[in-house]
Amino acid sequence: MGKVKNNTSQNASKRVSIAILITAAALMLLISGIQQNYARKQIRNNLERNAEMELIIKAIDVRHSIEDVSLALRNRSWEFEQFLPYPDSLFAVTRRIVEQNPNFAGCCIAMVPNYYPEKGRLFEPYTLRRGEVIETYQLASEEHDYSKNKNFILAAENGSSLWSEPYHDEEDLDVMLITYAFPIYDAYGDMAAIVGVDLSTEWIGELLNARHMFPSSYNLLLSGEGRLICSPNGEKKHKDVDQIMVLINDSTAKHTISASGRITVISFDDWEDHAKGSVYYYTPKSINPWSIAVINYDDEVFAPLIKMRWKNLLLTLAGLLILAFIIQRSAKNLTKLQRANLEREHIDSELNIARKIQMEMLPKSEETALRDDCFVVGSLDPAKMVGGDLYDHFIRDEKLFFCIGDVSGKGIPAALVMAVTHTLFRSISAHESNPARIMQALNETACQRNEQNMFVTMFIGVLDLPTGRLRYCDAGHDKPFVIGEETKQLPAKPHLPLGVMDNMVYTIQETVLRSGESLFLYTDGLTEAMNESHEQFGLKRVEKGLRDCIGKESNTSENLIRTMTNRVNAFVDGAEQSDDLTLLAIHYTPQEKPLIFCETLTLINKVSEITKLNAFVKSATAALNMETGLANQIKLAVEEAVTNVIDYAYPNGTEGNINITIEADESRIRFILTDSGAEFDPTRVSNADTTLTVDERPIGGLGVFLVRNLMDSINYERVDGKNILRMEKRYS
Amino acid sequence: MNTNITEKDGKYFVSLEGELDTAHALEVEQAMQPLHELSGKDITIDCAHLDYIASSGLRILLALLKSAKSKGNKVVLKNLNDEIKEVFKMTGFIDLFDIE
Repeated sequence: MGKVKNNTSQNASKRVSIAILITAAALMLLISGIQQNYARKQIRNNLERNAEMELIIKAIDVRHSIEDVSLALRNRSWEFEQFLPYPDSLFAVTRRIVEQNPNFAGCCIAMVPNYYPEKGRLFEPYTLRRGEVIETYQLASEEHDYSKNKNFILAAENGSSLWSEPYHDEEDLDVMLITYAFPIYDAYGDMAAIVGVDLSTEWIGELLNARHMFPSSYNLLLSGEGRLICSPNGEKKHKDVDQIMVLINDSTAKHTISASGRITVISFDDWEDHAKGSVYYYTPKSINPWSIAVINYDDEVFAPLIKMRWKNLLLTLAGLLILAFIIQRSAKNLTKLQRANLEREHIDSELNIARKIQMEMLPKSEETALRDDCFVVGSLDPAKMVGGDLYDHFIRDEKLFFCIGDVSGKGIPAALVMAVTHTLFRSISAHESNPARIMQALNETACQRNEQNMFVTMFIGVLDLPTGRLRYCDAGHDKPFVIGEETKQLPAKPHLPLGVMDNMVYTIQETVLRSGESLFLYTDGLTEAMNESHEQFGLKRVEKGLRDCIGKESNTSENLIRTMTNRVNAFVDGAEQSDDLTLLAIHYTPQEKPLIFCETLTLINKVSEITKLNAFVKSATAALNMETGLANQIKLAVEEAVTNVIDYAYPNGTEGNINITIEADESRIRFILTDSGAEFDPTRVSNADTTLTVDERPIGGLGVFLVRNLMDSINYERVDGKNILRMEKRYS
Repeated sequence: MNTNITEKDGKYFVSLEGELDTAHALEVEQAMQPLHELSGKDITIDCAHLDYIASSGLRILLALLKSAKSKGNKVVLKNLNDEIKEVFKMTGFIDLFDIE
């Protein structure tokens, strides 16, 4: 069962762990997603601002550059004007201009029609750079009528300079050209010609693309009609440029570039190499109507973000791993804790059982409640689930055997020693009536293998119920109280507790309890019971409690125990019980009933005397009107007892007396055998085994067995060098 | 206390009469001594007139049973009165003897 339960709990904890991990992972991913999104927006916003700045600055750069060109050209107007009177020298002028400036692809002087009548209507000296070669010739013809050229017309009508739309070089289609056109005037102040200088746009492209926000970014310059003026060099760029031009011109159709006055952003994707990107274009006033654009690719723009994303992912993974580790550890600890709890519950339930067993070991008062001569009540209240205190009492052969003990320490170890001591007490006293010898035997066992140095303080008493003679032996235990006319502690010789010294000699002490007197035994749990202020209950309070029980006809066992328990509880007042508390009270009340028969016979130790004995017993039973069966049983028991004395009391050949007294009250007959022979306690003889076969069965050994079985009780006492054996039988 | 021993058809019959107490045990034991020597003879003890038996009497019967059994003989007790039967039960003797 336990194992299955464990497995399911392990599975449950595994499931919980996985659920926690998944939730944590989802949360982390969500958070990092939100962060990424936010960061992306921030970067885009920043980029837009930066792009605008960049475009404005670059536009200014472009403007300055072209102004430089136009200014330089206009400043050379005088050169053209100076040679106006000599039309043919104008060829040299154009050639010089081109030669002097490598950025100039060509230069023409388109004369106002009919300016030189001798040259015809159209005259246009022209120098062209054709690779390394520079050619100069007259360009105008009826087919090439510059007077119909848009730029010429504009410049001529307005009398001002202008930049043309870009156009492809006819010689080299890869080269884009634009023309700067400005009018020149003759000495009379009349407009003489429009000078046109063709510039390759490459240098502007280089200027624009000298520096970029991102490695793959590039700038474009667009004419007012949305045509590309210049682009950066490189095949790759060119490929994208066409597409971007389409994009820009598409968007331009929708929103007029200049009208917006603001930066315009077009995102694009699905191109090879750089999958995604954005075009930012703008028409700053400085270069109006031209526009300037920058193209940035997302993979570069968001590179830090992508880098961060990987780092985040790694961190998340690491975090999850750590989390998983922690969960696993805590799950393990949890399982351990659960297991420990289960074990504790298990131990608790076992302790409960142990407690029950321990309590069941204690004798019941009912045993003595049936008797009218003594009543014993005990109580044991362990400080923990199980305790190291013990008490016991039982009646054998008209003797009350009782003991109280306290094992050093508390809890389970003490309880184990207690159980062993208790059991030993029972088994030893089953055939031993001398408390000192019982103590001796207990001590020997307690000293064997006592590596834990556990010891037991113990008081053993044997109360002879017919006579009230109390024999006892104290092994370091608190002295019991005798409660009678006065209340005092029993004098007790100081013996070491059990388990301390294996050769300790325990000696017996003796006193007589009178009818109505009580014995009160206790463990130090009573005297050392503490209240909250660490005061002990003390011997004085015990004594006072006992004294208060006297004279109220209430010094019965129950009353003694109840009074003392109430008092100690009231004293302690809820403070934690620190030691086991055990109390034992014995109330002795032998009932003296008037005798209706009392005779004594003295025999000598000879078998032949049995005839006399039997006649004596027969006369007594007859006098008491007993029926024959019972009378014969009694006769047999007495004969067996006396035979025993004849056989064993005196040494062979010596003569000795045996006194037999028969006493009877109205319900009981009692035989008291007294002899002065060697000490012989027939109650110590173990019972014959009646289950053996003929061959196993010893001849003899039945005497004491018969006495025990035929009489209600037998009781042996050795007093003043005499063996006294009492036998009693209820007859009516 | 009387102990009568008779033989009939190779079987021995013992009749115990009176009270077999400790005082009379020796006398009965001696009277029955010859029975210990028998071989191949069953013994029947009639207790019809035996009024009382002490443990010393039980010893004599047990000793006889042991020696008879060792020779393969049977010892049968008959006509035990109730009190004696009670003692036999108490001591376990009832299981040792053949009782009629």
